[in-house]
Amino acid sequence: MFKFVLKRIASAVGVVLALTVVLFILQKASNTNPVHAILGPNASAAAVKAETIKLGLNRPLLAQLFSYIGNLLQFNLGTSYRTRRPVSTDLAQYLPATVELALVALLIAVGLGLILGYISIKNGIPAKIFRGVLLVGASTPSYLISFAGLVLLYSHFHVLPATGEAGATQPFQGGFVIFDNLVNGNISGVWDGIVHVTLPALSIALVPAISIGRVFRSSLEATLRSDFVRTARSKGLSDQAVFLRHAIRNSIGPGLTMTGLQLGLMFAGVAVVEDIFAWPGIGYYTTESIPVSDFPAIAGVTLVLGVGYVFINALVDIAQSLADPRVKL
Amino acid sequence: MQFSTKQSSVVTRDDWNSVTERATTSSSVAKVEDYHVTFTRSGSPVHALRGVNLEVGESEIVALVGESGSGKSVLGLSMLGLLEKTSNTSVTGKVFLQDRDIALASAAEIRRLRREYLGAIFQDPMTSLNPTMRIGKQLGEVTGSKSESVELLQSVGIPEPERRMSAFPFELSGGLRQRVMIAMALAGRPKLIVADEPTTALDVTVQAQILDLIKMSRERFGTSFVLITHDLGVAAMVADRVVVMYGGEVVESGTTKDVLNSAKHPYTRALLASRVTLSGDRHRRIATMSGEAVDSRISVPGCAFEPRCPAAMEICNSTKPHLCQVEDLHDVSCLRYGSQVDDLRLSNGIDSTQMQIRSFTDGGELREGAAVQEIDSSASDAVGKREIMITANDVMVTFKVGSGGSRAMLRALRGASLQVGTGEAVAVVGESGSGKSTLLRAIAGLNTPSSGQIELRAGSKVQMVFQDSGASLTPWMTVEQLLDERLVATGVRDKHERQERILAASDSVGLYRQMLSAKAYQLSGGQRQRAALARSVVVPPEILLCDEPTSALDVSLAAVVLNLISNLRKSLGMTLIFVTHDLAVARVVADRIAVMYLGQFVEVGSTDQVLSDPTHPYTKALLSAVPDSGSTPILLNGDPASPLSVPSGCSFHPRCPSVVGSCSSTEQYLTISPASRGHLVACGVALGGQ
Repeated sequence: MFKFVLKRIASAVGVVLALTVVLFILQKASNTNPVHAILGPNASAAAVKAETIKLGLNRPLLAQLFSYIGNLLQFNLGTSYRTRRPVSTDLAQYLPATVELALVALLIAVGLGLILGYISIKNGIPAKIFRGVLLVGASTPSYLISFAGLVLLYSHFHVLPATGEAGATQPFQGGFVIFDNLVNGNISGVWDGIVHVTLPALSIALVPAISIGRVFRSSLEATLRSDFVRTARSKGLSDQAVFLRHAIRNSIGPGLTMTGLQLGLMFAGVAVVEDIFAWPGIGYYTTESIPVSDFPAIAGVTLVLGVGYVFINALVDIAQSLADPRVKL
Repeated sequence: MQFSTKQSSVVTRDDWNSVTERATTSSSVAKVEDYHVTFTRSGSPVHALRGVNLEVGESEIVALVGESGSGKSVLGLSMLGLLEKTSNTSVTGKVFLQDRDIALASAAEIRRLRREYLGAIFQDPMTSLNPTMRIGKQLGEVTGSKSESVELLQSVGIPEPERRMSAFPFELSGGLRQRVMIAMALAGRPKLIVADEPTTALDVTVQAQILDLIKMSRERFGTSFVLITHDLGVAAMVADRVVVMYGGEVVESGTTKDVLNSAKHPYTRALLASRVTLSGDRHRRIATMSGEAVDSRISVPGCAFEPRCPAAMEICNSTKPHLCQVEDLHDVSCLRYGSQVDDLRLSNGIDSTQMQIRSFTDGGELREGAAVQEIDSSASDAVGKREIMITANDVMVTFKVGSGGSRAMLRALRGASLQVGTGEAVAVVGESGSGKSTLLRAIAGLNTPSSGQIELRAGSKVQMVFQDSGASLTPWMTVEQLLDERLVATGVRDKHERQERILAASDSVGLYRQMLSAKAYQLSGGQRQRAALARSVVVPPEILLCDEPTSALDVSLAAVVLNLISNLRKSLGMTLIFVTHDLAVARVVADRIAVMYLGQFVEVGSTDQVLSDPTHPYTKALLSAVPDSGSTPILLNGDPASPLSVPSGCSFHPRCPSVVGSCSSTEQYLTISPASRGHLVACGVALGGQ
């Protein structure tokens, strides 16, 4: 276990370094100048030059890269060009909302995936419909689902709100709404948070849920055909006991692997979906930063997501080893 | 249903005989009547069972014997009520359990029968136990109490049963896993246990233990067994009665003695003749059946065996035989026997009792028409006279397995030395984990020894033939492309020459030329093994390495492939190393036998020396465990030890029946037996030196 943790920390460091290098190359390739964005189109040439020197953008790219990594080693993500605040301060403000959204989306994706997988192995009309949903759903992008959800549940039926993390009665935007209210015992606040998170979380979760469902379904089918399920039947166990005690635990592995793989897709979905629903998270922060080429902000967000990806995949591996004793960490 | 091992009285052999006699007259435990099962596969019907009648008496062991496609497993599943009832399956006839027709029973009723009346043991204990559930919990599902589970584990001979309760199946050896399966089947003291190939996945010494356990369970608890097996030898070791199946029908049924000693049906005789055994002339070709196994998609008006039957008469392809009693308790379904034959004898003048089926070899199996050559008697002489082809000198191969805290060294070969002469055939015999396949791969250059040397005569080419021939053929290539690829790789440029050599190779292995344009999945098991062989010899190698090429094949097919390998070796003058777990197979292919245990040779000698004068205790046990060997198996303690934790001294000492004090500390090396030249044994005790 200790070795496993050590390995994952090492891989997180590797991911951060690789991402930093890629970001620097992309920044160079995009050929945008943040100074113009910061000072506005009417800034004088002298002012531009002064600002460029101040930001260190006149130095060679490699020197910039090394000083960035040097700062990174001291957990210093730099200062945002746009907000003029340390990126870490910005992230502290925007990250919790995203974590909340992502966690809820992850729960929905796994839960819905398992349910979809289970229902689709059944015989009969409902199962056929679900199989159809799985096929169609797998090829639908998340923004389409967002818009469909908005049109249906907000505009048409008025059951869910369209924007924000909480209603106007809430004193704050950003942060953990559901979690904080839960800690404070504010039940109506929790409910408000849940109502607000449902639509964006569903938008992010639906596509991964369908992928997870498809994988879970095929491993469930294979398990139900396996020799040990035949043994369980030969013991005289009921179908339900065979399913619950013998089939599920042995089928869950591929679903978990798929969950890990889908995370990247879900992070990508967060940026788009937060924009659509005006969710005050890092996706929103990023879409604000991109037009002004706010490199420290973009880099900070990317690195945080990279580390998050490594972290959650480590959790997936731990879950695998809990489900199957043959898997050693 | 509570039971305890202390209460159950031990039934003596004499009591036992009276029980079996009663069984034939008293009420039956299970009864199958005119049972048909037809599956629909991609539109066409597959006749899995065509009118089977079977009765299992109280505490009787009935062996269902047949090759793949005979319907024996479908019958077994039906008796457990486990045959999936889908729209693609049509079932007629009756299966009675506890005098009740299970076709009429509710699902809940069948589950109750399975819980209280039935037990099941399946072939592969690795896949038949839930891999993520502890043994104790899996047993608990059928026993109800923990103490009962522990008692059961104890009664099937599992050491430290308390500790094993919390083990997962993958933490147990194959033999222990199968014992757990048997414990589960015995829970609740069922009246009938269906065991489907319970020992096929196990080593021979473990097979002997498990068969012994099945016999013991019957004597202790009075349980009846239906033992499904492809091996008449296994049936002979435990069964009271043998039922032979072919093409979904019972073709012969009788007491084990009658069926084995005076088989009547031509199929049973052919099956017996094509068995590779330890008796008979080993230099002769093994008798083989002509043709392919019955295609159960075709509904035949006459006898299903007629196309392959050497004793077929004109009327056989139009008249269906049925089971008739030919002797007391001995039924045969053949038009040449019973009341059916009486009429025939009158009309045809054939005396069935005089009929003898001498040979099954003239079915035109090998079209190259090469006469069977007797193995040159000098072949079995010492290596010294020959030019050396392969020298393995103190070869060690060690693998690192596992990761993190569970990292371990797997010592597959621990100093194996062997010399093989040019044109010689050596069989390397051992159980799983003995390192025999590792040695073969090391000779082929697929494993690098961590120390020691392997030298091949300069310029000699090596080819390998694997166990699963289907998987070793690239699925999207035709046989011709596979052969051509090999020729191109060796630099044969001329297209005509390649074509010629492809045809010659396919002829030499008896592969029909039409099959050259087929892909692996379009071929039957036998054709695939021929194609794999053709690929190995299309560029004739000096050395042919075979890794259990027959262990996954049906008995009749294994005989064909063994003949083929022997013929090819002689006609192409190849040096052969043949890895097998089966001494009977080794006997027919090899000039010399080298017995391996845990990565070292324990006995090496000419085939006659090793088999007629086995000297190492392990060789003796291995030989006695071959089913149908006539001798009582020497039951070894426990399972083959793991190459992950090799015992000290002589690595065989923890299982050795003739162990002495010094064995655990003194390593043993191959030493020339004083009794005969060229016979090497690694046991000081057996050689009388200690």
